[in-house]
Amino acid sequence: MIRLLKKLKYPGRWSLFRSDDRLLLIVFAVIVGICSGLAALLLNRSLETMLAWLHHYRVYWWAIFLPAAGAALSSLFLEKIVNEGAGHGVPEVIYAVSRYGGLLRLRSGFSRLISSCLTIGSGGSAGPEAPVVMSGAAIGSNIAQAFSLNDRQRVALVGCGAAGAIAAIFNAPISGMVFAIEVILGEWSTMNIIPIAIAAVAGTEVSRLLKGNQIAFAHRIFDIHFHDILACVGLAVFCALASVLLTRALRAMHHLSKGVALPLWVRAAIGGSMVGAIGYLLPYVLGEGYHAIHKAIEGGFSGGLMLVTAIALLKILATSLTLGWGGSGGIFAPCLVIGAFVGLSFHRFMAAVWSSVIWVNEGCFALLGMAGLISGIMQAPLTGIFLVIEISGGYEVIVPLIVVSTISTTLCHYLEPASFYLKDLVEQGQLLRPGTDARVLTDLSIQELLETDCICVHPDMRLADFLDIVKTSHRNHFPVEDRKTRNFLGMIHLDDIRPYLFDPAMHNAVLTGQLMNRHVKSVSLHDDLSDVLKKMNDDHIFSMPVVSDNRFLGMISKATLLDQYRKELMVQTGRF
Amino acid sequence: MAQRLFHIFRNTPLGRETLLQSIYFCQQMGVLPTVYIPEATKFLMYFENDVVQVDLDPSYLNDPETALTHAEHLLKAAKMKPELFTPKNFTASTLPDIPTNFEFMCCPRSISDLSSKIGLGYIGPRVRRIIQAARFPVLITSPVYKPWQRIAVFFGGSANAVNALRLGIRVATLTNLRLDIFTQAGKNDPSKYRAIVRDAGLEKSLENILEGWTFFEKKRFEDNLYDVPHDALVVLGAYGHGIIRDIMFGSMMEKIQSTISNNLLIAGPKYTVIA
Repeated sequence: MIRLLKKLKYPGRWSLFRSDDRLLLIVFAVIVGICSGLAALLLNRSLETMLAWLHHYRVYWWAIFLPAAGAALSSLFLEKIVNEGAGHGVPEVIYAVSRYGGLLRLRSGFSRLISSCLTIGSGGSAGPEAPVVMSGAAIGSNIAQAFSLNDRQRVALVGCGAAGAIAAIFNAPISGMVFAIEVILGEWSTMNIIPIAIAAVAGTEVSRLLKGNQIAFAHRIFDIHFHDILACVGLAVFCALASVLLTRALRAMHHLSKGVALPLWVRAAIGGSMVGAIGYLLPYVLGEGYHAIHKAIEGGFSGGLMLVTAIALLKILATSLTLGWGGSGGIFAPCLVIGAFVGLSFHRFMAAVWSSVIWVNEGCFALLGMAGLISGIMQAPLTGIFLVIEISGGYEVIVPLIVVSTISTTLCHYLEPASFYLKDLVEQGQLLRPGTDARVLTDLSIQELLETDCICVHPDMRLADFLDIVKTSHRNHFPVEDRKTRNFLGMIHLDDIRPYLFDPAMHNAVLTGQLMNRHVKSVSLHDDLSDVLKKMNDDHIFSMPVVSDNRFLGMISKATLLDQYRKELMVQTGRF
Repeated sequence: MAQRLFHIFRNTPLGRETLLQSIYFCQQMGVLPTVYIPEATKFLMYFENDVVQVDLDPSYLNDPETALTHAEHLLKAAKMKPELFTPKNFTASTLPDIPTNFEFMCCPRSISDLSSKIGLGYIGPRVRRIIQAARFPVLITSPVYKPWQRIAVFFGGSANAVNALRLGIRVATLTNLRLDIFTQAGKNDPSKYRAIVRDAGLEKSLENILEGWTFFEKKRFEDNLYDVPHDALVVLGAYGHGIIRDIMFGSMMEKIQSTISNNLLIAGPKYTVIA
């Protein structure tokens, strides 16, 4: 029995998988896809139940406090019960993938499902997609940990979890796959694509089996003309502006909330009550908001240009208040709602200005707006394009979709160089995608670059004796140590002895202690290589002594660094 | 190469005893103490195949104004340069990442529970997770500062026990202290254990430092523990036996930690022997 358990713990050692781990990853991808799909459906069902249950109470005035209660409970749950340092979820997954080989905590597999259910179910303006991505990714990571898979395999399973979750919640396998690769892993390699595709299929099948093969938004046929495609350029600009506005509003609210000296759950309640007040006047901004998208796509949304613009802006405000003040959830669903209303506003504006032109149905622009927002805020055009195609079930909008998504992504990139998910990571220097400079330098350590073939000399050594050492050494730098304590005192460079070299009278008169440079810049064994390299570049030096606890350990040079850098880069990119 | 011991400072009298013990260990071993004065009650430790979230007992954040002074005072009194650790990476804004590339780590018996709960027979779940996942040995200190004058290694014959013996030899060599080995042999022939040590190539290393090898043949293991010198640093392995190691701390380890109050230096299953 114990032998069997031991064998199960290390599947990588089975003869079936030993030669090539692709089959191993495929098997685990199916398991992770099913588990993450089930997690996504669990949240989906819970939200439906909670929203239906609370729906009857929305007519009462005190319903404005429901989002406050939900956000406070959600915050208390995360802070006091599961002790999770709360964030949006997706940046944490990307951080784990880029820095720690996809290691995620087990508690992350369920904590965000419960907290986001409380926030969104009570009316908070957020989406369930980021929590299910977090949950799926944590499931993948913990399955990989349980079966002792290596870093690369673990990262692939994290991607599988994210893909399975998105695929299940939207019934959209391609979107799940593209999202996992484009946003989570940021690396298109066949080793990852195959298991992720399989996990996305598994997640979708779980969803279809338990929920039926439903397309999120009913398919409509749109008659798109050239002038509609031209108008898409303008729509893309509006989408980009809305994306940037949402990104900045979310961050501004977060900073504002941090400055309030109140417990997190109280801050979440404050944000929630403000959302409740907005929702009392304009219920479209509450919850995920998919019912509003349905109406927008079907072209049956009553109200004029002012109202739809107000809904888009207030949804941005409500989402910022919910998430920025401590509620739990993601921005996927709010982006779809805001995008749909930006599309609708733009269509109505165009129809008002050029009333003689026969424009395509406004539902088409709602769809394009959704893609524009998703592409812009995540700076992931493929995710936006495939998601809208899959959730609307129509392929005929592909050309304007590409136009809106690519232009929106490009404009957003100009205005906000990093996407919403990556912004904090980039600012903290924590985004370490494989093959990037930061990642290569992080994976190298000073210890492995240490050149230990230096000959140490003592300060009381005569120049003549020192020259004998120089003859046997092939280095230009000589560390000087105290004879008794072995403490590092300074360095002698060959240039330092040049003035005395051709004057034999000085050879017995000058001591090395008089020649050495006492103010040499050194680095410690535990310094970051990026800092060391910056120091070298700033001071125009090619090598530095490594000193720890006053002891000379060796030299670090740019030449060795470059050599190791190339090797590491080749390993990370798989290009030899 | 300067080796480092990671210590999380608790600004209480109990924390002072723990830091004194760490300082003593560092002085004996020639290791640099790296002290972390936490600013949040949570942190993460990312190991090779596991991520451990440590939720500190709130007493770790006691009186933050004096924490630094207290820690520096103890280190300076021992003529050690205070090296304070500041987290560079954060998984979330209130969740710092603590590196796991130290050579040693010091833990009290529990870092997540109130100090009133800590006593013999109890090692907290987080400390257990750290021991299970870490490449470094973990120093579990006695409740009060207790200098040790000899090394006692518990050797049960498993692969992890061999690692623990290597660690004990390393400590004894660096500190110039004598080493005792204790084995609960029961009905097994002592020559079996000697053969394991010989096959591991440790006989020669033991020649100059071994004080004695005690084989307990009678009585229960916990009753025999009275023979372990009270002033010894006890070195032993944990999670040592096959698949069970992933679930159980190890029966010998549980008995030792619940019976004796010496300082314990524990090598977990992932402990990598430094040459």
